[in-house]
Amino acid sequence: MIGFLARRLAQAIFVIFVVTLLVAWAVRLSGDPAVMLAQGAGSVTAHDLENIRRGLGLDRPFSAQYLGFVSGMLHGDFGRSFMGGTSVALLIRQALPLTLLLAFVSLALSLLISIPLGIQAAVRRGRLADQLIRMLSLVGLSFPNFWLALMLVLVFSITLGWLPPSGADERAGLIMPAATLAVILTATNVRLVRGAMLDTLSAQYIMVARGKGLGERAVLYRHALRNCAIPLITYIGLQFGGLIGGVVVVERVFNWPGMGSLAFDAVAARDYPVLQAVVTILAAMIVLVNLATDVIYGLVDPRISRE
Amino acid sequence: MTGYLRAALIVAATMVAPTAGQAAGTLTVAQSQDPASWDPVDTFLISWGQLATNVFDGLVQRGPDMQLKPALATSWEMLDGDKRIRFKLRHDVTFQDGEPFNAAAVKFSMQRLLGPKGAKGPQQSNYTAIGSVEVIDDFTVDFMLSRPDPVLLTKLAGYGGVIVPPQYIAKVGDDGFAAHPIGTGPFKVTDYQPKVSATEEAYGGFWGSKAKLDRVVYRFIVEPDTQVAELQAGRVDIATNIPVALVPNIQKSADLRLDSITGPTVTVLRFNTAHGITENPDVRRAMIMAVDRDSIVKIILQGQAKTVTSFQSDLSFGFDPALKPVPFDPAGARALLKQAGVAPGTPVQLDFRGNDTTFREVAQAVASYLTAVGLKASVKPYEMNVFTNDIIPNGKTGEMFQFGWGGWTFDYDNTAYLMYHSGEHWNPYDKDTTLDGMLEQQRTMTDPSARLKKLQAIADYVAGHALELPMYNLNTIYGVNKRVQNFVPPADNRLRLNDVTVD
Amino acid sequence: MMTGTYWRRRLLGFEFVTGFVLTGGMVALVLLSDVLFPDGGSAMDLTARLQPPGQSLAHILGTDPLGRDVLARVVVGGQVSLTVGVVSVLGAVIVGIAAGLIAGYYRGVWDIVLMRWADVQLALPFILIAITFAAILGADMWRLIAFMAIAQWVQYARVVRGAVLSLREREYVQSARSFGVGDLAILWRHILPNAIGPVIILMTLNVANNILLESSLTFLGLGIDPLTPSWGGMLADGRSYLQSAWWVGVFPGLAIMLTVLGLNLLGDWFRDVLDPTSQSGT
Repeated sequence: MIGFLARRLAQAIFVIFVVTLLVAWAVRLSGDPAVMLAQGAGSVTAHDLENIRRGLGLDRPFSAQYLGFVSGMLHGDFGRSFMGGTSVALLIRQALPLTLLLAFVSLALSLLISIPLGIQAAVRRGRLADQLIRMLSLVGLSFPNFWLALMLVLVFSITLGWLPPSGADERAGLIMPAATLAVILTATNVRLVRGAMLDTLSAQYIMVARGKGLGERAVLYRHALRNCAIPLITYIGLQFGGLIGGVVVVERVFNWPGMGSLAFDAVAARDYPVLQAVVTILAAMIVLVNLATDVIYGLVDPRISRE
Repeated sequence: MTGYLRAALIVAATMVAPTAGQAAGTLTVAQSQDPASWDPVDTFLISWGQLATNVFDGLVQRGPDMQLKPALATSWEMLDGDKRIRFKLRHDVTFQDGEPFNAAAVKFSMQRLLGPKGAKGPQQSNYTAIGSVEVIDDFTVDFMLSRPDPVLLTKLAGYGGVIVPPQYIAKVGDDGFAAHPIGTGPFKVTDYQPKVSATEEAYGGFWGSKAKLDRVVYRFIVEPDTQVAELQAGRVDIATNIPVALVPNIQKSADLRLDSITGPTVTVLRFNTAHGITENPDVRRAMIMAVDRDSIVKIILQGQAKTVTSFQSDLSFGFDPALKPVPFDPAGARALLKQAGVAPGTPVQLDFRGNDTTFREVAQAVASYLTAVGLKASVKPYEMNVFTNDIIPNGKTGEMFQFGWGGWTFDYDNTAYLMYHSGEHWNPYDKDTTLDGMLEQQRTMTDPSARLKKLQAIADYVAGHALELPMYNLNTIYGVNKRVQNFVPPADNRLRLNDVTVD
Repeated sequence: MMTGTYWRRRLLGFEFVTGFVLTGGMVALVLLSDVLFPDGGSAMDLTARLQPPGQSLAHILGTDPLGRDVLARVVVGGQVSLTVGVVSVLGAVIVGIAAGLIAGYYRGVWDIVLMRWADVQLALPFILIAITFAAILGADMWRLIAFMAIAQWVQYARVVRGAVLSLREREYVQSARSFGVGDLAILWRHILPNAIGPVIILMTLNVANNILLESSLTFLGLGIDPLTPSWGGMLADGRSYLQSAWWVGVFPGLAIMLTVLGLNLLGDWFRDVLDPTSQSGT
């Protein structure tokens, strides 16, 4: 176990390193931060832009900039944003908890709904309950996230006045963004659970378990669910990765200042320090999630050796 | 049972009821961007002006009519044959930390702007006509000019010209000042959460008419749909980023009103005058004739804009009311194209900024008009940074490209020189020595009426050579809750809220 | 077992019929779109701007902010949306299944290299890649498809790998190997059919997802040009008209929903056909 973890940790560091290098390179391929800072300016000449670039340390060669970033991170100095010099550590300290909160709540909500529903759909396969659950999941799936968000806001904030339309400063502000994300997560997970349950319910050992006289519930939850865990866990891992870095649209519509919009704004502004720090943190988290997924595979299905 | 239920409902209601952002005397303003630094020499962003105009003052300021008025300077005069401006400063003004305002503060601010700190930002190059600043006495200061600059006084009403506190900056440094600013204005910044909100409270020691509000809270809300939703839900009093498509939402609401005034930004479609069929001025004239700009303004922009005849609004110095727009004449356009030898179905490409939702519609309309006269028009969206940094300055555009310009000085010089003078950063295509000469000449003229004539001649020349397709001057549209009184929307987006009250 | 009645029940089952009708109908309409609407729905009429549906026969579903017919644009828009949805998923699936099989079956170096590369891709910010792609390759439909396929093969690879990891230890696989059956045969005949269940579900889910992803990209300003109709683009451009002219966005949304419904029903049916142990019929 120790050997396994140590090897995976070494690989993880390598992956994070590759990611940050790729991102640092890719973001410099197009666009220019100096242009963003001179936005709206009157007589911006090439000379002015050069001055601004020099002030940002962009006249140094790429290797110097990248190594400067790496050594800064290793010392815990995340640098300062190009836009106004705000401390990057401060920006991340604000955004990360909000992202994690939204991700956990949405995912938990979706699992609470999708696991029982998926099981019911599989058990009552072909009957009305199954059809209904599948139809609903398809509707949830084909709904564009920003339309769902805007409609929720129209109903619950503007018409009924129950919930705040946006913002993360009130607890109630979490409800609609989590619901919006949970809809598509649930739709996906219901289908996955149903499909996996169908596969396992017809398998041999289930018949054996039933033959043993175990109650239906025990059969379902203890044996069948364990065996459809693999694809579900894989996908939950992937979903979590998407939730922590990729929900820009929902974050923007609900003004939930998380890591997704932090990264998006940083890319649009070519704010290298912010982007590089955010990507490093997101990469570390995603690598950890994938590692955890692999460990869980081994726990759920002891036949899977680790390497 | 009923008691229990009632208690539960009350608890639930207090948990989800909108919090009182509208406590008496608090104004909540939504704006889309956090300028991130309060330092005036760091930035040119419109969002800075919306936030920080409450906090700082310059020697002069502009009223809602865009005319110059005294601010921290009570009077000024030109001396030594226009090589020196003498400012008499206002007495009994203190910065928000108690520090006194005097000539030393003015000198400090200008030296900071013109020195190494200012060199890192985009403001400095507008003020280089200032050679040095001399303190004559505590309330008199002289600006020695290294060259004539007829627009300098107007520019001193801009961001770079605001006066900053020398002792405070010496104590907390530039970084501290950028995060916790101190100025002489009617509001003082008391709380700032990056990307979330900024709170300003009334400053009791303000030299002018003191603020009637207790507090202004700015919330940074990126999406216009969300700003309008917050406005409709009554949680925001003023929304500053209303695109035309959302105007009906506000008009339909009984609690809201639309404050729409002439904006600072003029949008034109500039031509690629160096390559392709648009190299020919007749082709360009034909394309201008093909587009029905009045219909675009009236229908797509719902009348929330005005057509323009040159690259300036009607408030700009240099505006010529006698310059007539090219009439909408599709038949004439066809004839002109045929005469110029352009075959039907020739492709033309219109480049624009992909995230500009209003212009997306305008671009498609223009393409449709061009297609109607026989061209094969397409539109190409670009990511903003790539567009402004690479495509335009390096001359990689299609036949036409969108260009919006906020002439912040409301003086045609600021736009014309940068757009048409050869070698300028924003001019990848035009090289016209006659035009260059006219542009350089007006910069030296200090007699306003002579300069006005010159600027009008420039606009006339540009129109005659069809260097651009002048489109429109979009209004700045504010959505305002009816409980807000005395809000005078400024044409330059610089919100000064000391007279505003809320019911 | 596979008698005539077996097939008759399968093909007349609710899933197949509805799925086929919906998907087939959509595809047929879209294929015929150039014939039905020769101008591609691009005829702009500013005087007929934002007409509600049912107001005139010429515009049964109403008009958009530029006075263009919504019905025409929805039908023509299917060309881009269906192409984007289907081709991007096919591309991702092919690469993903191959990678997942190799990583899961052979383990060792292959597993490490492929899975760590998958980690790298998953950790790369999607938006940065979208913007860089757009900046360098231009903003057209094929760029979008390539980008989605490259971004998404990882999902299939990880799901397939997960399935393969548990399947390769099963008794029938072990016994096949001991009989000297070649790896390729084992993968093709024993492992792939059992690993493919979740893949098919993901495929149908991702077609919907990618059609909607085009919408999100347009929302963020990174989509294809607005003159070319697409369901995703129309949805994004219609979002500000939710309160004032709902039909601009709702009808393309309905088109997406019906297509997704049809595809998913067909996908479920296909899964059932592949699964030899399931009960016949619906």
